[in-house]
Amino acid sequence: MPKWGMVIDLETCTGCQACTTACAMENNRLPGENWQDVLFYSEGSYPNMKLSWLPRPCMQCENPSCVSVCPTRATYQTEDGVVLVDWNKCIGCKYCMVACPYGVRFYMDEKPVVEPDIRAAFPGEGQRSWNPPFRMPDEYEDPSKGIGIQPKGVVSKCTFCYHKVSQAPEGVADLDEANPETREFTPACVRVCAPKARFFGDLDNPESKVNELIAEKGGVRLKEETGNKPKVYYLSGGGAPVVPGKRSTRS
Amino acid sequence: MASMTETAPAVERGNHFQMHLIVALALVAIGGGYALFELLQYGKVQFNTTNYGIFWGFPIVVYDYFLLTSTGLAMVAALYHVFGLEEFKFVAKRCLWLALAGLMGGVAVLFLELGNPWIALWATPLNMQTSSPLFWKVLLVGAYTALLAIVLLGTIVNRDDRRNPLMYAVGLLALLITLAAGSVYGMMAMRPVWFGGQLPVVFLIESFMGALAFTVFFTHLKNGFNHDTMRPQTRALFEGTLANMFAISIALHFILHAGRVVTGLWSNAEGFQVWGHIVASPLFHFSMWGCIALPFVLMLLPATRRNGMAQILAAALVMIGLLISRYEFIIGGQQVTLFKGSWSPEILSYSPSIGEWALLVLAVGIANAVYAFAAWKLGAEEHR
Repeated sequence: MPKWGMVIDLETCTGCQACTTACAMENNRLPGENWQDVLFYSEGSYPNMKLSWLPRPCMQCENPSCVSVCPTRATYQTEDGVVLVDWNKCIGCKYCMVACPYGVRFYMDEKPVVEPDIRAAFPGEGQRSWNPPFRMPDEYEDPSKGIGIQPKGVVSKCTFCYHKVSQAPEGVADLDEANPETREFTPACVRVCAPKARFFGDLDNPESKVNELIAEKGGVRLKEETGNKPKVYYLSGGGAPVVPGKRSTRS
Repeated sequence: MASMTETAPAVERGNHFQMHLIVALALVAIGGGYALFELLQYGKVQFNTTNYGIFWGFPIVVYDYFLLTSTGLAMVAALYHVFGLEEFKFVAKRCLWLALAGLMGGVAVLFLELGNPWIALWATPLNMQTSSPLFWKVLLVGAYTALLAIVLLGTIVNRDDRRNPLMYAVGLLALLITLAAGSVYGMMAMRPVWFGGQLPVVFLIESFMGALAFTVFFTHLKNGFNHDTMRPQTRALFEGTLANMFAISIALHFILHAGRVVTGLWSNAEGFQVWGHIVASPLFHFSMWGCIALPFVLMLLPATRRNGMAQILAAALVMIGLLISRYEFIIGGQQVTLFKGSWSPEILSYSPSIGEWALLVLAVGIANAVYAFAAWKLGAEEHR
């Protein structure tokens, strides 16, 4: 069984947000509620200022606090280590959102991040809270894995495109869009990354590209102090990824 | 010292419960009607919680406030039923009915706040997620509700104030629920404003202090806010043991609260900057000085602790102050976002929507309706 992980090279990432857009299209996301977001940080004031950015998917932690706090086991870990939400069991208590150190979870029944509320223009039917014009094929939908159009009253999060990666050939080390044999199983954000800043593969496979990059370029994880052990690694030229706190934006 | 079998003064007591019930039902109709209309018509998007970072809003504040008041009241009742403190005999039954009333008000609000409350009823006990404090909280609240109902059923059938051995279990469950409620926040290492092993103890003290305030207030309410009609034993309790307990719990609450504030203001850790925002608010100073310090003084000075109006004022201020400090704690713990980038504000703003306020009105209405009906029809205010 693979242990899927992602590597994001911050030295290559241009902050173009193609990953964000691809993820939204692939996973029926509401505008502004991006499972795969690119966070921008501005420091200092003109003319001495700096803009930096950090692509931020779900960290798919090995020791996820969201799984520990979910009172119904609606948030769970698959055998291959991907953290998913079973929408059939989610009670919408939002404890997982409170407990996630990375802020990557989204509740459906909140005020829209982007006005006007697109849900009003594309009303849903049945379990679907809305009916996005760009939605994924129906056969991919699986509420027990939090894949599809998010119903009302439940929490959602990045699935590492589980509907794709779970279909990957057994024993494959990396899911690479450049490889025709694995392209279809590669997560959307990795597939569309134009500067090729993202890599996806099996962290348990010593031959995988992700392991090679982590070892050779000093891959680091965010907020190690939480003990959540993310499976998303960042490459930043050997140093820690610079994620300014809120206080650093003060002049 | 008056005999424990001494009856209350001949002044007729308790005739106002029908009016109390009518007012409470009016609150239920207004608060519940508005909240339900809004929820059915528009859904929870009307609440001012957001995916930016304020995930738990005013409804959770109200739920926790009423739940912890309920558990505190059960603990006050346990002083008589479990520890045999005879002084508390004449307030024990009232405390138990108020505990049920508060519980029902709080749980009703929680049901309207949760995304899928009915799924919670089966999915929580059946999935045994023992690492989640919420799992234990739900399990304990379920057992607490059932046992509390059985104890109260016994008071309806027997119409007496005998000590009930089942109260050992009710008291223990109330204690555990309070500690579990503290753990829900205290275990969140990623949220420095909440994190800490002392949180369950803080919740325990606040719960007990709130319960004493409710006991004082509703006892005076039952007597039509007329100190002279109060049973001599109850008056002695309110001027003696209970006043001491009340003053000590207020002092402990003040120390713990002030300690958190000072630590928060001093620390440079990310997240603690919210304390500066909280302390800058007039609401904070009203709760700190008006709703904690002033009631403490009122309960400390012999002249005011013997005065009925001062007791009522102290109780009412503590009841309001606890709601404010619960609000500041729960909302403040979320106002500094986790990983949202510098395009999101440094400190998120939040104020309850009208629909969220309506849920508070609903909870107050339900709690008062349950208590008033029990006092009117079920013997909650009868003593032999």
